[in-house]
Amino acid sequence: MGQPGSIFCGSADHGLSRRGFLGAASAATAGTFAADMTRLDGLKNPLLAGEVKRQQKSVILLWLAGGASQFETWDPKPGRPTGGPYAKIKTNVNDVHISELLPKLAQRMNHTAIIRSLNTKIGDHGGGASLMETGRVSDPGLIYPDIGAIAARELGRRDSQVPDYVSMYTSTEGRRKGTSGFLGARYAPMFLSDKQIPDNMHRLDAISNDDHKDRAALRDLLSKRFTQSRLSEKINSHTTAYSRVHGLMSSEKLFDIEQEPESVRAKYGPRQFAQQCLIARRLVEAGTPFVKVARAWWDSHGQNFETHRELCADLDHAMSTLLDDLEERGLLENTLVVTLGEFGRTPGINASLGRDHFANAWSCSLSGCGVRGGSVYGKTDPDGNTVADGEVGAAQVFATMLEALGIDHEKEYMIGARPIPLADFGAKPIKEVLA
Amino acid sequence: MSWSDPTKLKRVKDFGISGIAFCVAREPGSGKLFFGNSDFKVYEVDALAEKPAPAAFEAEGHQSYVTGVVRSQKQLVSGSYDGNLIWWDSESKKPTRTIKGHERWIRRVTVSPDGNIVASVADDMVGKLWDAQSGETMHTLKDHKEETPEHFPSMLYAVAFSSDGKWLATADKVGHIVVWEVASGKKAAELESPGMYTWDPRARRHSIGGIRSVAFSHDSKLLAAGGIGQIGNIDHLGGPSRVEIFDWQKGESLHTIEDNELKGLVEQIEFDPAGNWLLAAGGDHGGFVSFYSVETGKLIKQDKAPMHVHQLAMNDDSTGFFAVGHGKIAHYEFKSDSPPGPAEPPLPEDAA
Repeated sequence: MGQPGSIFCGSADHGLSRRGFLGAASAATAGTFAADMTRLDGLKNPLLAGEVKRQQKSVILLWLAGGASQFETWDPKPGRPTGGPYAKIKTNVNDVHISELLPKLAQRMNHTAIIRSLNTKIGDHGGGASLMETGRVSDPGLIYPDIGAIAARELGRRDSQVPDYVSMYTSTEGRRKGTSGFLGARYAPMFLSDKQIPDNMHRLDAISNDDHKDRAALRDLLSKRFTQSRLSEKINSHTTAYSRVHGLMSSEKLFDIEQEPESVRAKYGPRQFAQQCLIARRLVEAGTPFVKVARAWWDSHGQNFETHRELCADLDHAMSTLLDDLEERGLLENTLVVTLGEFGRTPGINASLGRDHFANAWSCSLSGCGVRGGSVYGKTDPDGNTVADGEVGAAQVFATMLEALGIDHEKEYMIGARPIPLADFGAKPIKEVLA
Repeated sequence: MSWSDPTKLKRVKDFGISGIAFCVAREPGSGKLFFGNSDFKVYEVDALAEKPAPAAFEAEGHQSYVTGVVRSQKQLVSGSYDGNLIWWDSESKKPTRTIKGHERWIRRVTVSPDGNIVASVADDMVGKLWDAQSGETMHTLKDHKEETPEHFPSMLYAVAFSSDGKWLATADKVGHIVVWEVASGKKAAELESPGMYTWDPRARRHSIGGIRSVAFSHDSKLLAAGGIGQIGNIDHLGGPSRVEIFDWQKGESLHTIEDNELKGLVEQIEFDPAGNWLLAAGGDHGGFVSFYSVETGKLIKQDKAPMHVHQLAMNDDSTGFFAVGHGKIAHYEFKSDSPPGPAEPPLPEDAA
């Protein structure tokens, strides 16, 4: 398997390659993304401007681990034998209705596209998660990167001082770290499973803050002196790595919601999922291109309606607060917020008033960046047993997410002599939900 | 004449129905049942007929699962997840009054022994007492918290009158029980049964359980609460069915009964009018009906029901019942031709 540096971007129109841009940019930059004045100069070049624009984009994936019910979220069927007890409600988009369990999101539907016609066929947790995360069926000979790693690779900055891919999964059931596959460890997620603030990021107590700064300054001085007469990719990489680690240590505060004003924290409230969404907002605001917030555990084989009453309240509040916050900060148009899980849940209601795994006709949502808000794609039959119109699989959803972010889904990575497109071979984005 | 004898429990008959029956009321002196269903309708069926044929009340009714139905003279009152209470003429099967009873889902409806007061509980966490004839609100009962300790919406599942009609018990998801004085609407006592609520903070990060049923003994001194005990994997109802019996006026828990053989939620409890036994019914994927000794809390007899039982209606002399639930209605009897004898032969008088 090749290192990231050996991966060739197959896009034909790159008179100025991304690598070249990043190399030039990283050589010229220091400090945080927001303070990077060289990037403003770079905007005079259309290609650079396009690159910068793409790089400003981010994804927040709200992973509904265990598989949320489409009936109790995006595709309600009240009054049908499969529909369950909950009503559908109007949204702020004409003729679009969702479950009454999502009243706040209903008032933000102008930001959101719903895909109601997923037929992904795989109904086990591991297989379903792998499929939806990578957009393709597993290949025994190759480990594919998930959407987070690809976003980190395509949207992240080599010189970034914030993590490129953060994954939060604090429950234990169905926990998955995520994988960068053949993209290598550089794009693997920073994985938070026990705490909201990562371990090993803070400086040692034995070293004072002044000492820490002095040491960095001394290292920087020596490094600059050393590199003055030596132009080398390896030396640059070494320097960048130090800078990145130093930056990551500084980014500890990004995970600390106490840094937020009380008024903002109050909006997100006391529940963990919403607080993790606040961390996600802080991260994307600082330049992290991909944050996954997993909310377990929707696997409601028993008491589906009680479980969704509880978890939908969590989703409704957390996601609507997040959308509002992103919008108020001008971040929503560049941040794609996705709800996705392994699969949906059965139309049939079992004797424990539960719903079981079901991958043949279910839903997901896309909000914000690149999305035609208020659109609904696809349709299930009146009882939700089958897809009636617009059937799509995981690959199309994957291609759609990439296109929404301005990433060419047909772009290929070369693994040795083997071209691997970002989205699975032949997958087309769902244009109807794209802006 | 017949007497109740739980050791004689037998399933006389069961028959299939479409959908899920959540609640049932019986016309005295007959096998005529009225049940509320997952197809949003109220049905009538003669469960003693050779081939029972449920007939729906076809008039415009509820817009969600019907979770409560009670008889009050010639009226029926039903409640639903749509928040509405509907008064029906049980003969014409037409609604005579519809009231927006609650802001959220009505979980259960019950009626006082004299038929004059209807009580309802809902997820707005409020209990309400209604004049069964006028439909006027008599009291609004507020004590149950809207949120669980983990800040999620709570649910108010259970309600029951005492046999003398003086007291009403309500119980919620986290195991909080309140006894109200019916006449004044004032709180008379509160009890806790936290073992009914499972919060999983780590593996799955949500909750399950709650008190699903309450019942007073016929002398009104005891109060039993039913639900499910602690569950490891909260994806399923794989926890012990659980009953806790209180001397509610003393605030004492007398027995906690947990059954790991026939698991699941205890959806309804009925006390023996003579005070000897307690009947608990419910289920998980399957169902159960179980008799316990009120004095010792020991199991007397149980049956694996043919469906998850959501509610049951006792017959006139408490020697049988009709259970309704997931896709079925079942008729049970537990009667004896002779009065139950003492557990052991009495000692001769002079032996004392």
